[in-house]
Amino acid sequence: MKLPSLFRRTPFRLTLLFLALFAAVAAAVLAYVYVASAQEARTRAERSVRGEMEILTGIFRERGFDALNRALIDRTLSNGSYLYILMTPDGQKITGNLSTSPIKNFQGPRQWDTFRFTDVDADGRVVRTQSMGVQVRLSTGEMLFVGEDIGDMERYLARLTQALWGAMALVLVLGVGGGLLVSRNVEKSMARLNTVVSAVQDGDLKARVAVRGSGDELDELGQGLNLMLDRMEASMASIRHAGDAIAHDLRSPLTRMRAKLEVALIDAEAGKIDGVEALEMALGEADDLLKTFNTVLAIARLQAAAGSGRTPDPSRFDAAELAVDMAELYEPASEDKGMEFSAEIERGLIVDANRAFLSQALANLLDNAIKYTPAGGAVVLRARRRSSGDVEFSVTDTGPGVPEEDRERVLQRFVRLDNSRTEPGSGLGLSLVGAVMEAHGGRIQLDEGPGEYGGQGPGLRVALILPAAEA
Amino acid sequence: MRILVVEDDADAATAMVRGLTEAGHEAVHAVDGAFGLLEAQKGGYDVYVVDRMMPRLDGIGMVETLRKEGDQTPVLFLSALGEVEDRVTGLKAGADDYLVKPYAFSELIARVEALARRRETGSVATVLKVGDLEMNLISREVHRAGQEIDLQPREFQLLEFLMRHAGQSVTRTMLLEKVWEYHFDPQTNVIDVHISRLRAKIDKGFDRAMLQTVRGAGYRLEA
Repeated sequence: MKLPSLFRRTPFRLTLLFLALFAAVAAAVLAYVYVASAQEARTRAERSVRGEMEILTGIFRERGFDALNRALIDRTLSNGSYLYILMTPDGQKITGNLSTSPIKNFQGPRQWDTFRFTDVDADGRVVRTQSMGVQVRLSTGEMLFVGEDIGDMERYLARLTQALWGAMALVLVLGVGGGLLVSRNVEKSMARLNTVVSAVQDGDLKARVAVRGSGDELDELGQGLNLMLDRMEASMASIRHAGDAIAHDLRSPLTRMRAKLEVALIDAEAGKIDGVEALEMALGEADDLLKTFNTVLAIARLQAAAGSGRTPDPSRFDAAELAVDMAELYEPASEDKGMEFSAEIERGLIVDANRAFLSQALANLLDNAIKYTPAGGAVVLRARRRSSGDVEFSVTDTGPGVPEEDRERVLQRFVRLDNSRTEPGSGLGLSLVGAVMEAHGGRIQLDEGPGEYGGQGPGLRVALILPAAEA
Repeated sequence: MRILVVEDDADAATAMVRGLTEAGHEAVHAVDGAFGLLEAQKGGYDVYVVDRMMPRLDGIGMVETLRKEGDQTPVLFLSALGEVEDRVTGLKAGADDYLVKPYAFSELIARVEALARRRETGSVATVLKVGDLEMNLISREVHRAGQEIDLQPREFQLLEFLMRHAGQSVTRTMLLEKVWEYHFDPQTNVIDVHISRLRAKIDKGFDRAMLQTVRGAGYRLEA
């Protein structure tokens, strides 16, 4: 059988569970209070009855039977709470406020008993109250009974029990009511969350949970959900943006390639060049396009990684070794061009980075430096740890440099300064370096080089600043 | 050389078989990993060229199965996935080399021949000999016609690689990958400059140049 839908709801089931738990604990407390109170009442009654009996036997011992008898008469008349009966040795009443002893078959010299005492109350109703008493045989043979009505305690306990049951019933009613209310509320909040979730499922990334500002955990969940959706929307947007950018970025080289192929076709048809030459040119163009495509993809991937705050495939390695390797790789090419190449590399520069991308970035800087510095110039690769702990690589050349107003711009894709157009290149090198640094949480900084140097200058200094590896 | 080409793209496969045949090799084509596995199990191949992503059984699954069966034939993976981690999973699965699509045909041939050669020579030799050029891998000394040649450590590595692949074309990308262990494409002619320095050391003063430039492909060390 299926439970009514209410019972399947978590808040309501929790409420019921807690009510049951509460009822069990309350019952246990009640039982304890009851037993403890009853015990206490009995002990107290016993103590007071024993005290009274001792006073009376004292009177008898010191002043004799008649004094005892008189004392009993006095006490009976003063209407105290005690029950008395003084009897002859064979059980006939002498004095007292009882007609017979409640203890029927008296044996010892002293005997305790509890009993129900039948009385008539003020309204004439017959009541039987719980009592207890003790009977002793006096040295002269007579018997004395002293007892006390403990019914008050009984009634108190009964009232207590009743109150506790009442309270429990009230708690149950309020609890069920409250549970219903709470579960309705929670359900409403959950429904708000669920609406958003299903809206997102249906593809609406703009849906957000209305946060009430109560700061409760459902609000927190809602806020978390909203944050997650913001992130998702941003990354979707950046993917879409990257896709658009790639499409845009590839359109121009494709157009260029198409135009060149058409020219080659015309030239080949006119017999100016032969087919092989035209095809070789086409292949070269295709390779260039492919390189461009790969670089654009790498930039997009790095920018997406920067957006998510995670370096792609990081590993921990000594960047000083990488810098030494790069210097060794590029030194001959630079000296071949008649430039002075030097490297100043501090030892032990541990970084958490993507090795492939970092080496690519350094290679791009060195490529640029060698490409744009005229013969007779100088290129310096430096790697050092800054006082902040960050690792800084820099490549300084004595080429024409980049005017201050263009330093932001050259980091953008496909931006090539006018005086660089004669050199082969895609305009993506520095963009890739910038993207690599972004994905590593680092930065790239372009400055003027050493100034005039052998008729060249002012030169360019490109610094890559990589955050220190976490300990 | 007998080469098994496992590639689901029919056009790419046709071009590859044709190119390999023209380079003087025998090439057999299998259309997916499952057929490739059956063909490979027949034996008699020097190199497998395996596309990584294929229907039915992909390249990784096929190579893993072959390696489990004890087949140690060199494998060249072809893949459109060029990230570092893709390369690592490919090599972990048992491939010996990894080439990212699209590739220049000269690059493919050079790598296939390098793989086949590596299998022939093995790596137990302590002395490499190409013509009158001799390299001692233990003492790290190089002699040509009895004359000692002084090499920088990286030049030594470069020459070792060229000697191990003597008579074959090796591309600039291969050198950058295998000697420097970089996977990027330098815009300047860094490799050429290293080669010309090495050439100056081993060929200068001899009548015959051993280290030759192969147009459109790379370099070749000839005995």
